[in-house]
Amino acid sequence: MQSKGKIAVLGVSITMLVMWGIITIIPLYWMIIGSFQDSYADASMKISMWPEVWSFEPFSRFFDKTMAWRWLLNSLIVSSILTVTNVFFASLAGYAFAKLHFPGRNAIFWILLMTMMIPTQVTLIPLYILVIDVFNLKDSYMGLILPSIVSVGNIFLMKQYMSTLPTSLIHAARIDACSEFGIFYKIILPMAKPGLSVLAIFSFVFHWNDFFWPLLVTESEAMRTIQVGLAGFKFADTTDFGAIMAGATVASLPMIILFFALQRYFLQGITIGAVKG
Amino acid sequence: MARVVFKNVEKEFVDGNKETFIAVKESNFTIEDKEFVVFVGPSGCGKTTSLRMIAGLEKQTRGDIMIGDRVVNKLHPKDRDIAMVFQDYALYPHMTIRENLSFGLKNLKQPKDVIAKKVKDASEVLGLDHLLDRKPKELSGGQRQRVAVGRAIVRDPQVFLFDEPLSNLDAKLRVQMRVELAELHKRLEATIVYVTHDQIEAMTLGQRIVVMNKGQIQQVASPTDLYQKPENMFVAGFIGSPPMNFIDVIYEHGKVTMEGAQFELPEHCAHALRAYEGKKLVLGIRPEHLFGEDITMGVPDTYALTSTVQVVEQLGSENLVYFRVGERMVTAKLHPDSDARVGQMKKFLLDMSKVHFFDVETEKRIPMKFMSA
Repeated sequence: MQSKGKIAVLGVSITMLVMWGIITIIPLYWMIIGSFQDSYADASMKISMWPEVWSFEPFSRFFDKTMAWRWLLNSLIVSSILTVTNVFFASLAGYAFAKLHFPGRNAIFWILLMTMMIPTQVTLIPLYILVIDVFNLKDSYMGLILPSIVSVGNIFLMKQYMSTLPTSLIHAARIDACSEFGIFYKIILPMAKPGLSVLAIFSFVFHWNDFFWPLLVTESEAMRTIQVGLAGFKFADTTDFGAIMAGATVASLPMIILFFALQRYFLQGITIGAVKG
Repeated sequence: MARVVFKNVEKEFVDGNKETFIAVKESNFTIEDKEFVVFVGPSGCGKTTSLRMIAGLEKQTRGDIMIGDRVVNKLHPKDRDIAMVFQDYALYPHMTIRENLSFGLKNLKQPKDVIAKKVKDASEVLGLDHLLDRKPKELSGGQRQRVAVGRAIVRDPQVFLFDEPLSNLDAKLRVQMRVELAELHKRLEATIVYVTHDQIEAMTLGQRIVVMNKGQIQQVASPTDLYQKPENMFVAGFIGSPPMNFIDVIYEHGKVTMEGAQFELPEHCAHALRAYEGKKLVLGIRPEHLFGEDITMGVPDTYALTSTVQVVEQLGSENLVYFRVGERMVTAKLHPDSDARVGQMKKFLLDMSKVHFFDVETEKRIPMKFMSA
């Protein structure tokens, strides 16, 4: 009876996972398939699940008729810099909050956590005024980057991760005449690779996909990021779905590459703490 | 190598509710040059905190700590010329064994050839030379332990600090490592401060032992003195396995009365207890100083008590026999050929030359001037 019950549970689990997998994959499949169908040319405006005629026209139109290369470059610059700054500052802050003792540590951490409870929409206007009117950073890389150099969410993530690293290693390094920054750089960072990889992927994907802030601070077409550029990719009376799908496919490539490059660390990172070390 | 001195050292911690907890109370002792001293006590007694204060990983609230001729109160751990072996080994997991061993020396900017020689020497001494290019996760528990010791040896420090280094090893390996550590101490002639909660480890390794409880030093003495002349009931109960038995007695006119027995004390005991006339006392006797009437090992049957055997544990080399005297459960370590059976009414003989008496209020041992112990 027990084994039958187990088989039933396993069967239900597999069915649900397969269904979930299909639900997840269909939009991606449709995006990729859609990018090879020239629905705009035959004026059908339909995207079928399997193209009758394979066409690279949508890709050509996407790159020829827009500043797509520039948008991709902008996204790459902004996302890469923000990934580096987030990993750097969040790991430093996370280490400090998790392992160093200093006056006001808990109070500062709680204040930071409280800022996470304020919805982004509430802070958007003051932030906009600060960046655009006070710092005069409209339509610039600095305007895109400055407000997001490190997020409280990432600090929290790294603090939780750093807490799992054994404190005795820090003490051993301290006795081994290692400087405080040396401990962070030579001992903590190499051990935190899985956590840092997860943070890097999350950061890159978040900033690559970010739409609203780049929409607010960019004005010229040349300063747009890929997401803002894609949204504006319309003609007077119609939408070129094929080209948008081609753009979306191109836009998703860096994320897919990044994930596979860091997959090993990513999987380690998300399972850390789940098993007894 | 160097002496380590604690002068009125205290350590307080403040918890989340702003309440002060005293981890180490007014602590005074001197660890002599080249001495192997073991701190022993139950969890939370302050032994590891004391060690961490010597290392500089914890700052004392009051008092002075000296290593050699220097007061090290304000010195960073790296400037104290100490090396420490941690309970969980604390090996850097991303470095090879060679890198682990040389890490401290590199930080001290020692020349490469000196580092290489020291790593080679230490790895040979500890039998690690074939493991130098492996990572810690590829080693067994015992090998990791050796690497942790090796990392301390290469530093050639004034004082070695060991924080329960054997507690993660299995029983067999622990015995083996214990012997290796004792040999290492002989070879290095080093000052070693060693923390453990295992009294067997303490008794076998320590030249002197510091027994701690609730942040307070209970006694500092050699293993033999701790066993034979415990200062108080805590030390008497903590040192020895199974622990010392305590029996409630009343002393009157040279006699002690307990449940199931009354006997006249030898002259030297009666003399020492004259100030306790008519008072309650605690009689302490170790399990190995109780004998069955069948195998007396030459102990006279003058001092005996009778009770029903509750449990018999046959360990092969000895039988542990449990019986009650009043409210207290008493253990006797009898000869393996002893005829003790559960439910049997049995006479147990006390070796009065090994008996201790403790003051009920202060729990301190009442010294017996003419006792052989």
